[in-house]
Amino acid sequence: MVTDSYLKALVWLVPLLPLAGFLITGLGRKRLKGHIAGILASTAVVISFVLSVILFFSLRKPGTEPLTVTLFSWITTGELSVPFAFLIDPLSLTMMLIVTGVGALIHIYSIGYMHHDERVNTFFAQMNLFTFSMLLLVMGSGYLLLFIGWEGVGLCSYLLIGFWFKNPDYNYAARKAFVMNRIGDLGFLLGIILMFFTFHSLSFSEVFGKAATFDKGAPVITAITLLLLVGAVGKSAQIPLFTWLPDAMAGPTPVSALIHAATMVTAGIYMIARSGVLFNLAPVTLTVIMVLGLATAILAAIIALKQNDIKKVLAYSTVSQLGYMFLALGLGAYSAAVFHVTTHAFFKALLFLGAGSVIHAMGGEQDITRMGGLKTKLPVTFLTFAIATLAISGIPPFSGFFSKDLILAKAFEHNLVLYVFALGGALLTCFYMFRLLFVVFFGNLRSPEVHPHESPRIMTIPLMILAVLATVGGFLNMPSLLGGHSGFLAFLQPSTQSLETGELAHSTEWGLIFLSLALLGTVFWIAWRKFLKQKHIPEKDDHTLNLAGKIVYQKLYIDQIYAFLLEKPYSWLSSFLFRKVENQLLDPLVDGVGHLTSELGTLTRRFQRGNLSFYLFAMVAGILLFIVFILFV
Amino acid sequence: MKLLILLFLPLFAGLLLLITRKYRFSGYLAPASALISLVVTLMVISGVPSGNVSVDWMQVPGVRFNLQLDEISKIMLLLTGLLYPFILLSSWGREQTNQASLQALLLFSQSALTGVFLAGNAFLFYVCWELALLPVFFILLLWGGPGRRSITLKFFIYTLAGSLFLLFGIIYLYLQTPGLHSADFAAMAQLQLPEKTQQWLFWILFIGLAVKMPLFPFHTWQPPAYTTAPPQGTMVLAGIMSKMGIYGVFRLLFLVLPQGVLFWQNTVIILGLTGVVYASVIAFRQNNLKTLIAFSSLAHISLMVAALFAANTYAVQGVLFQVVAHGITIVALFYLVMLTEEKAGTSELSGMGGLKISAPRLALLFMLVMLGGIALPLTSGFIGEFLMITGIFKVSVWFALAGGLTLVLGAVYMLYAYQRAFLGPLNPAPEHKGDIISRDQWWLIPLVILILVLGIWPQPVLNLVLTIPELLRPLPLP
Repeated sequence: MVTDSYLKALVWLVPLLPLAGFLITGLGRKRLKGHIAGILASTAVVISFVLSVILFFSLRKPGTEPLTVTLFSWITTGELSVPFAFLIDPLSLTMMLIVTGVGALIHIYSIGYMHHDERVNTFFAQMNLFTFSMLLLVMGSGYLLLFIGWEGVGLCSYLLIGFWFKNPDYNYAARKAFVMNRIGDLGFLLGIILMFFTFHSLSFSEVFGKAATFDKGAPVITAITLLLLVGAVGKSAQIPLFTWLPDAMAGPTPVSALIHAATMVTAGIYMIARSGVLFNLAPVTLTVIMVLGLATAILAAIIALKQNDIKKVLAYSTVSQLGYMFLALGLGAYSAAVFHVTTHAFFKALLFLGAGSVIHAMGGEQDITRMGGLKTKLPVTFLTFAIATLAISGIPPFSGFFSKDLILAKAFEHNLVLYVFALGGALLTCFYMFRLLFVVFFGNLRSPEVHPHESPRIMTIPLMILAVLATVGGFLNMPSLLGGHSGFLAFLQPSTQSLETGELAHSTEWGLIFLSLALLGTVFWIAWRKFLKQKHIPEKDDHTLNLAGKIVYQKLYIDQIYAFLLEKPYSWLSSFLFRKVENQLLDPLVDGVGHLTSELGTLTRRFQRGNLSFYLFAMVAGILLFIVFILFV
Repeated sequence: MKLLILLFLPLFAGLLLLITRKYRFSGYLAPASALISLVVTLMVISGVPSGNVSVDWMQVPGVRFNLQLDEISKIMLLLTGLLYPFILLSSWGREQTNQASLQALLLFSQSALTGVFLAGNAFLFYVCWELALLPVFFILLLWGGPGRRSITLKFFIYTLAGSLFLLFGIIYLYLQTPGLHSADFAAMAQLQLPEKTQQWLFWILFIGLAVKMPLFPFHTWQPPAYTTAPPQGTMVLAGIMSKMGIYGVFRLLFLVLPQGVLFWQNTVIILGLTGVVYASVIAFRQNNLKTLIAFSSLAHISLMVAALFAANTYAVQGVLFQVVAHGITIVALFYLVMLTEEKAGTSELSGMGGLKISAPRLALLFMLVMLGGIALPLTSGFIGEFLMITGIFKVSVWFALAGGLTLVLGAVYMLYAYQRAFLGPLNPAPEHKGDIISRDQWWLIPLVILILVLGIWPQPVLNLVLTIPELLRPLPLP
């Protein structure tokens, strides 16, 4: 029998270990040789994972009270009282397991991937700092604690995107990510403040308890949830704040896998799922989330069709999948969204690590038009990448099928149009993923000068583990259709308070599954015919493309539009305010006042000569006069 | 007695330094004095009885030499006591002409500033206010950079003109006190002037205070003065003297003219928020690192003024916390700017680039302090800004949005500046002089630790300001 205090000690150890790892590898980055930093950092995360597993098994029984562990009082003034405390419930346990589990695999993989880098110790320090921040984010017992982690992961993301800091483009990408996230964060922070004034507390339990007294559709709740949504849109890269995520691929590939696919970008989904009680009261916000999510899912999938950089394809795919999660949130199916977060963490981490293995083998090459035929050269990478492709495309029995099908079914229940669009996006996903798989691994190698070889075992073993998870992860939530009990959703329900909807008839569900499988099969066949049979190689640039192709190839010109509408005017405004307003308006105005006074009296003309001793004299004399005035008048 | 030590120790240490400048031990005088002041300050703040001081000063009724200590004074003393050791140590071992005189002037300014924050009498307050200007004036004039003559003159005249407004306001208040008149703040706080009087008198006093802060649009002396001043001068100006105006708002406006404050509340908030956005936007394209940080300081002070006039408990507590937090961050930043300029051999960002390659430790310290500047959670900057924005939110959501823009725009200009100075390929133009030496590193690390500790464990400073609503009773803080 495990005691309560023993469990509480485990709870605070979970984030503390990566923090210790960060401090040791960070402060000792000059002294630690070889793989030591990597091993230390990985060990810290592995132990955190083991502890999370122990916590999970101690607390998983239905009806177990959530565990709250308070460390110390962080801010206390007036009504504002924010303890530094952790909340351990089904939702945070799920996220902790993903963060430490997938995180540990990516740390281990990085030992192999980053070993040649001269700043490998700094890399691991920052990865551990990220893990610590992400754990704060998912374990915090209130919104302000969540916000610490929220901004902390943003910082780590900035640092790791710009890890290779000698490249100005990477630095630009890092800044772009931080600033776009900060725009979201501002909304989030204002939401937190409004929440504080509404509920007089920021802890989850008190806020959700008091929210019950509000009516559905209460304006203040709608305002709060919309502001929280702004934060989620920034962090989880939705329209209009999604353009930072593809650029974030400038970071080392394990960073893309951990931060920009599996964990950090899902923080927005976590936050909304956590606030299910509030969002249930705000149907308007849910509709906005639904529309944003679906639009992002389709837009990003379209852009992914024509990208030639292996990581860019995966990045747009991530944006698109995050869109699906938002769609689920917008339907009130918070647990379903978290389920997709989970399976997506498996297969998308796998895809990125596989891409890393390919890039590693190709000597840094990321352009898929220069790859090809790698399936024999990199058999493990190929096999695992193929499994992940099947999973993300939603083909049974791989994990993505279960989570995506759940979302599609929810969309169907809600509205047929929604379902059609969601299904369309899924078909696009299937097409661009098989395009990627075929172009990279089949045909002939198009870079004769490279001699690719399979990655070392320290990299392939994490791939294999993730491949197993991506294959069987879906069984976590076996639907009743297949004789299961939807265990994952039931486990999460106490945390997320998902909206209950009527079950679809089993015949309808089978119908939908067969429809989507038939269409997926067709799309697969098209991709197979185009890229395997006809050996089509994507165009290297947009010269030969038609207009539509060109626009998609150029990512719908959204970056250019933002630069034209925001960056350039801001830069211009900065110069304008300084040159015209500061130097030609305000400053002369002050001088003008000075000249005016000097012309008013002959005495003051001395100011212009710059005779300072006179000035000092005048001051002292003035003070003396003042005293005389007081004394004798 | 302890208050007198705080007030006069730096003055005597400075005089002694001037006399013994030829001897080797004189180099230790200034830091030693500052450290003793810090210890005494901490004792006074933590509630060790410090005694009362009150003597009749001149044969003028109500003009007394009396010192008073309340929570607002304590925050200001904490700021002064904490920062002076670092300001003085930052000049240690640097080849500055006539260093003993520079340090003596800095010590004089510490005495005068302590006087401002301890004075219980408006007349004493005003004298110290003016005296504080003199050492800084000479520091700028004698140790300043290019264009120092005209810039110093402008700074001097501008702030002195502001002081005349202040003086007029104080005399007016003095003459309103009953009986034989008294210039004690306590007597002025009893006045309860008619509403109309409070409304016009507000501007007389506020202009004097606003110039000192400075607040948009009374700020045009600030960027050039901060830029041309020697690093230590900039640190005193930005770290401490900028808070004199905020202190004055408490003493002379909140406590004496509460009706005036409430009447002009929104006007001043709008000025402050305009300053936040205006200075943040301008900072983005500055090419001189020091000027850029000067505009950043302008933006931060503007937010503090806006929050101050939000005049509710969270906002005011946030301002007082931020007084300390901003002081630490800005002194550390200007210290780092000095080091960066030394290492790059230029103050122009266009001539820097890639310094992280040649000076990785400098880059790391700069990054850590910058995070405090852009208010990342778990740094001191976040606590202050969160409380201030919360307070402003209580007045208006739109004000809070404008104030909150500092989170976005601050990141925009700071990260861009950091990139231009430290990231990218090593700029081949300047002759690089390696990383920072360990002495500077050891002075900077305590500042970084303070930034982190106050972000993780802010309660000791917050506890100092918990009783603010009672203290400011004339102006009921919602």
